[in-house]
Amino acid sequence: MRSLWTICFVIAGLAVISAPLHAHHGGAAYDTDKSVIVKGTVTDYVWSNPHVFVKVDVKDDKGNTAHWIVEAQNPVSMLQIGWTKNTFKPGDEVEIDAMPAKNGNPVGFLGSSSPTAPRRRIVINGKQFQP
Amino acid sequence: MSRCVGVSLFVLLSWSALSPNLCAQTAAPNAAGSESKPATWDSIPPVKPFYAGKKSEPAPRRDISGIWDAAELDGGRQPSGALEHPALTAPRGKGVEGGRPDETGIMRPLHFTPFGLEALKANKPSGPSVRQVLAALANDPVDQCDPIGFPRMELYELRTIELVQTASQVIYLNQFYGNYRVIWTDGRELPKDPEPRWNGYSVGKWVDDYTFVIETVGLNPRSWLDNAGRPHSDELRVEERFHRVDRDNLELTVTIYDPKIYAEPWQGLNKFPLHLQPPGFDIAELLCSPIDMAEYNKQVGSAVLPPSDKK
Repeated sequence: MRSLWTICFVIAGLAVISAPLHAHHGGAAYDTDKSVIVKGTVTDYVWSNPHVFVKVDVKDDKGNTAHWIVEAQNPVSMLQIGWTKNTFKPGDEVEIDAMPAKNGNPVGFLGSSSPTAPRRRIVINGKQFQP
Repeated sequence: MSRCVGVSLFVLLSWSALSPNLCAQTAAPNAAGSESKPATWDSIPPVKPFYAGKKSEPAPRRDISGIWDAAELDGGRQPSGALEHPALTAPRGKGVEGGRPDETGIMRPLHFTPFGLEALKANKPSGPSVRQVLAALANDPVDQCDPIGFPRMELYELRTIELVQTASQVIYLNQFYGNYRVIWTDGRELPKDPEPRWNGYSVGKWVDDYTFVIETVGLNPRSWLDNAGRPHSDELRVEERFHRVDRDNLELTVTIYDPKIYAEPWQGLNKFPLHLQPPGFDIAELLCSPIDMAEYNKQVGSAVLPPSDKK
């Protein structure tokens, strides 16, 4: 009987660690021709490799909250177009124009950080972010 | 048996419920409020138009020391593979098709040996190129913070480098994911049977007062050559030519010699321009943290996977 439980836990453990380990990707997961306005309250802002990302709670008119993530590029690329580790903070009210994930999940992408690429619209606490 | 399944499910569900709360990485809040100005350490190099028409001074002799920035930001980053041979059928912006089995039809093809072609197919890139695959199927070692290696540190994400000349070495520091190499200038020969190294073993010499040529061997075949997943063998030899055009400009040419993989030598970069930065220029750090990478994959990467790729 004990060996059966051991097998159980091994199976459970294997299921846990076999989840996709690496999913760092380019824009392939997003609809680059589409636009979604992520409007809500910042809950977290992660200034790390491989991509900076900001988490936004978006309430619909029924009072449901969707937990959105909007990702950008790596911190050095973002520095070069005027972002800093302080660009967002929890509690900020934001509107972010992002490319939506193809799979319909609440994830968006801001695309290229090339200094010559057009910037997508971001509003933070009522002010347009234009570094 | 059903109890076993129940326990396994319970463990799985608990793990997925608990894990978002286990690791919280938050940028330190700034008491003064959000700012939009960059750091004041001058880490931000100028972009290409800044240099147009700028006058310089004659090149110093036998000197490539300094902080050199690619400035050709889109050019140096090379997301589709080495700049001289991107794995694209048309210039970027005109549509990228992924999922092809090989590189047939790219603008400037490489000529693979049969062995080389099989090695190419084993590398599954996630960047924008003809063989691009979805993230869950990609196997780029750099996505797990393996060393970028050489010459990929020049054929991918070439941003800012610092070169320091000592009596017997040129010390080469590379920004993206923090690489360093040592190039021996004491006249020694390349080793005959070198140990495999991610960054290889390099010797360099001046072929004239303004051209410094580096030969590198002993390259660990686990690294990719570029972001399009081009492979190399342990027989790879790389030649770099750094040509000091004038005081402010350096040109880099990188040639790949690997007869096991490529039927003929090819250039990854051809007179790629690098621009001298002021001595006080602080190179922004960009290191790969496996823990941060795992956290990103869990929070963001996994969330965008197509349903069929979820295990």
